Amino acid sequence: MFKKFEKLVYNGIQSSAQRKVILITTLITFIISVLMIAPTEIVKAKMLPGKNNDTFNIYVKLPTGSSIQQTQKVTQCVSSYIIKEKELLDTEVFLGMGSPLDFAGLIKGSHFKNSENVAEIVLNLTKKHEREEPSYMMVQRLRPIIQTNCEKLYPNTHITFVEPPAGPPTLSAIVAEIYGDDAKGIRKLAGRVENVFKQTKGLVDIDIMEDTLYDKFEVVVNTTKIAKSGLSVKQLNNILYLAFEGMAISVKNSDKYSDQIPLFLRLSDDSKRFTKKDLEAVKIKLASLKLMNKKGMMVPVTELVTIIPKKSNPMIMSKDLHQMTNVLAETDMVSQVYPLLDARTKIINTFVDEYKVEKTGLFNLQLTDKSSGKVYKLIWDGEMKVTMDTFRDLGGAFIAALILIFLLMVIYYKSYTLSGIILLGSFLSIIGVIFGHWIMDIFTADTFFLTATSLIGFIALIGISSRNSLLLIDFTKSLMSEKGMHKAEAIAYASATRAKPIFLTAIAIMLASTLLASDAVFGGLGVALIFGTVAAVIASLIVVPVLLYMSDLESHFHFHEKKAVSVEDPV
Amino acid sequence: MNHHKPYNPKDIAGKLAKTFLRNPLTLVLGISLLAIGYLALMIMPREENPQMVVSGSTVIVALPGASAKEVEKIIVQPLERKLKEIKGVEHIYGSAMDNVGVVNAAFYIGEEKEDSNLKIYDKIMQNADMFPKGAMKPIIKPLDIDIDIPIVSVAFYSNDRTMSQTELYDKVKKIQHHINGLNNVAVTALKGGHKHQFNIEVDLNKLSGYNLSMGQITQAVQAVSYNVPAIKNKTRENEIVMLGVKNAIEDAKDVGNIIVAQYMGSPIYLRQVAKVTNSYDIQNFKSALISKRKKDGKFMPFENQVTLTVSKLQGTNAVIIADEVKEELQNYKTELDKNGISYVITRNDGERADDAVNELVMHLVLSIVIIAILLIFVLGWRESLIVTFTVPAILAITLFVAYLSGQTINRITLFAFLLSLGLLVDAAIIVIENIHRHYHSVESAHESNDEIMVKATDEIGAPTNIATLAIIMTMVPMAFVGGMMGQFMKPIPENVPVALIASLFVAYIFTPYLAVRILKRPKHDKGEH
Repeated sequence: MFKKFEKLVYNGIQSSAQRKVILITTLITFIISVLMIAPTEIVKAKMLPGKNNDTFNIYVKLPTGSSIQQTQKVTQCVSSYIIKEKELLDTEVFLGMGSPLDFAGLIKGSHFKNSENVAEIVLNLTKKHEREEPSYMMVQRLRPIIQTNCEKLYPNTHITFVEPPAGPPTLSAIVAEIYGDDAKGIRKLAGRVENVFKQTKGLVDIDIMEDTLYDKFEVVVNTTKIAKSGLSVKQLNNILYLAFEGMAISVKNSDKYSDQIPLFLRLSDDSKRFTKKDLEAVKIKLASLKLMNKKGMMVPVTELVTIIPKKSNPMIMSKDLHQMTNVLAETDMVSQVYPLLDARTKIINTFVDEYKVEKTGLFNLQLTDKSSGKVYKLIWDGEMKVTMDTFRDLGGAFIAALILIFLLMVIYYKSYTLSGIILLGSFLSIIGVIFGHWIMDIFTADTFFLTATSLIGFIALIGISSRNSLLLIDFTKSLMSEKGMHKAEAIAYASATRAKPIFLTAIAIMLASTLLASDAVFGGLGVALIFGTVAAVIASLIVVPVLLYMSDLESHFHFHEKKAVSVEDPV
Repeated sequence: MNHHKPYNPKDIAGKLAKTFLRNPLTLVLGISLLAIGYLALMIMPREENPQMVVSGSTVIVALPGASAKEVEKIIVQPLERKLKEIKGVEHIYGSAMDNVGVVNAAFYIGEEKEDSNLKIYDKIMQNADMFPKGAMKPIIKPLDIDIDIPIVSVAFYSNDRTMSQTELYDKVKKIQHHINGLNNVAVTALKGGHKHQFNIEVDLNKLSGYNLSMGQITQAVQAVSYNVPAIKNKTRENEIVMLGVKNAIEDAKDVGNIIVAQYMGSPIYLRQVAKVTNSYDIQNFKSALISKRKKDGKFMPFENQVTLTVSKLQGTNAVIIADEVKEELQNYKTELDKNGISYVITRNDGERADDAVNELVMHLVLSIVIIAILLIFVLGWRESLIVTFTVPAILAITLFVAYLSGQTINRITLFAFLLSLGLLVDAAIIVIENIHRHYHSVESAHESNDEIMVKATDEIGAPTNIATLAIIMTMVPMAFVGGMMGQFMKPIPENVPVALIASLFVAYIFTPYLAVRILKRPKHDKGEH
């Protein structure tokens, strides 16, 4: 078999027509594979794919100013759907606080949650080996059911699904940071961006990281009246707080309990509640609350203050000293890259009615309000930024690897051409990597992404295929110098002899990677190694010999005189 | 060709092969390599995800009564500017709300945790005068991934609906203390549950009926519940006599009997205007609930629960700690059962890490077996046996080096092993293939076994070294990938080069050593000298 192969190579490299065919075919496949990524998007890129987990969380967020009872009503709605799940083992609801912290929660600020309008629900599922449905499919299935049925209980409720990330956690898959100088303008722009996200296919769990505005009442203290009544502002503030919020006014030590026992004073629940959420009800209640002045006279609170309805003060957020608001979105089993680009295009096209839109950086936008002239910036963060940074760094690592290998080869061979051939041969493995992802995408149910791990596999492949070429060239060299073989003969014999170990190591790599290919996260690497190795073998056994034949080997090997042509064919 | 002179190796490969080929210590070396590898696999801490160095601190400053805009101007912005002065800070996030300002400084990934925390603390303390009047003391909360993220959480709930809200909390709190005492446990915390409290709920209508104010009630209660230290006095004979002043309040009834005012000569008791109960903290709106699948497959109704979370110290073994916690809980099981309290382990990262590691180890073993079978068909079973032995030896060295450099076994480490598996059998395959070729070739028929071993190894030495170096070089730049992703995949550039270098040494030392003892030369050439 290897004999036949030797003949094939021997004849192949000497016929100029066949050489052309080989090189042109290689070039065409290379171009096709590159085209599959960039304009056609046949092979899609994502940093890391979803991972099958034994647990995930559901975050519930009601509009700011909602009560714990309202929050509980929403969590009850969510729970009623999840307890129907066959694969659920147990579920915990944490009202008014975050669940025990995890990796995702750490970035999403779950440990700072401390208000009545939030809750987190933990779902523990059966072990992933015993479960047919991966957790990400379950989330995809439950999300629309729960969101349509439970978010409508109170307007502006957000229910989001948080899965443990496969890699490093991010705030969200897509984060649009909107910078500007005035809170109102930011709020308006954020609202418009949110609407665009809502219309973009593939985006779910859309939310703006801002407080909702709600009605509140402000108590304005009339200092003259207070002074005239013989009271103080402090006294008034304290009593108001004591009456409605309550305070621990004293403590009692106890050896029975592990904490000090506070004595907590407040109005009773029945008597402190307002009858309605309006100004009159507040006034009536405050009128019955009285303060005692120094003379022992009772003064109703309403005598001392005026109450005015107001909008709440929303939280002001800033990043790196610039005021901003985040608009968040998760992706529904798709890469975040493509919805982001869609949303960006839509923003550029539709926001022109009010803003002058300019592109800055790679994807970022600058929007200038046409009427007020105020400038806002839209900067993408979240998983997109991490993806960009990672692919950029890995790309850099890849180029650095190429340069290092090239230098190493130059040192070893003292020839730029030979080093170039090795590099070119190893670069061709990218064809296999991309085609491999395309083939896997066809055969798997969900999208098979080109991920960061695929890139790692590709980088490793460069080393592997350069070794193949290297062993081949080295053997050719020793054949020519020691046995005095002719160039074509030596190349053909070397290819045939080296074919066995090259095949062996290639198959070893492929077999070792098969188990990887089934892993959700490292599948990309497995596939890159399997298909890349195939390409690498073809490259080093067919393309590299052709390139070698076309180069002036004698001079590159630093032979001072041409060796005699040998007709002897060793066993 | 040198026919009679012994072959003189040119490359390190041949030299190594020659040195170890007939050395009795080679066997000892091989066995001890496997032993230390196995040891490392057993004692190295296991985790699901690799450790990341993420540092950051959150500074919280409260200014009661200030609006969000005011807080932004006088707390958040000056604080942000100060934190910006610190080297190593990547992002500063500020949020100003009514009454409180929060500023978070996130350091670049990889910045030392202790240094970063100190820098923030230092900066705040040096500039303590920048906070406005009326602002409370700044609270600095450093981020600590190891301590903040619990590895085990246990939910306790009562089957007895009549059990008071605080009883469950008190019972769990007792267990918490014992769990915290376990080795390498860093922080334990409770979520949910209610604390004990005397509640004085004043009826507003009665209050106005008796013409009383809240202030009066406060003063009356505070006056009675005053605590004083024991009083010491002496007798005439200089003996010490202690007088303990008993706190006037023992239970809810005592509180209710406090006289808040006199009205027309008759006292008004607190119980007349307020409901006094010995109960739980009613102002705490937080609560935790649990529902679990019952034996009949249906879910039980949601019950109040208290979750105990346990986190571990950095670099310790999550698997061992989780098991110890489980064991400790078993000790309380009978007592808890008696009180009608059940528990569910709602998170066990130790078990998760162990599963992940074991699964990947299984994958590794399977891959090795598959490769061994392949080699049997192509090279023959003796050759296959030799190559198969080299794999555990290489992995053992790599594991041991990883252990020495303080790494943990996690998904990515094992994944680095799987990645290198395909690469590291290569050196051995190339060596054995060349030995095989020489054994069967006529040219080498006159050479002795030992000579062939050294020669065959030496021949491929130089290109194999360079080729392996090339692969190592592709891995090295990966170590410079920044950000969280860089940290996350660090085990790859850390371990793959080690495995590759180890593969060279093992291939040069053990492959010829084993080959000369195991391989049989084909019969047709009996030309040994």
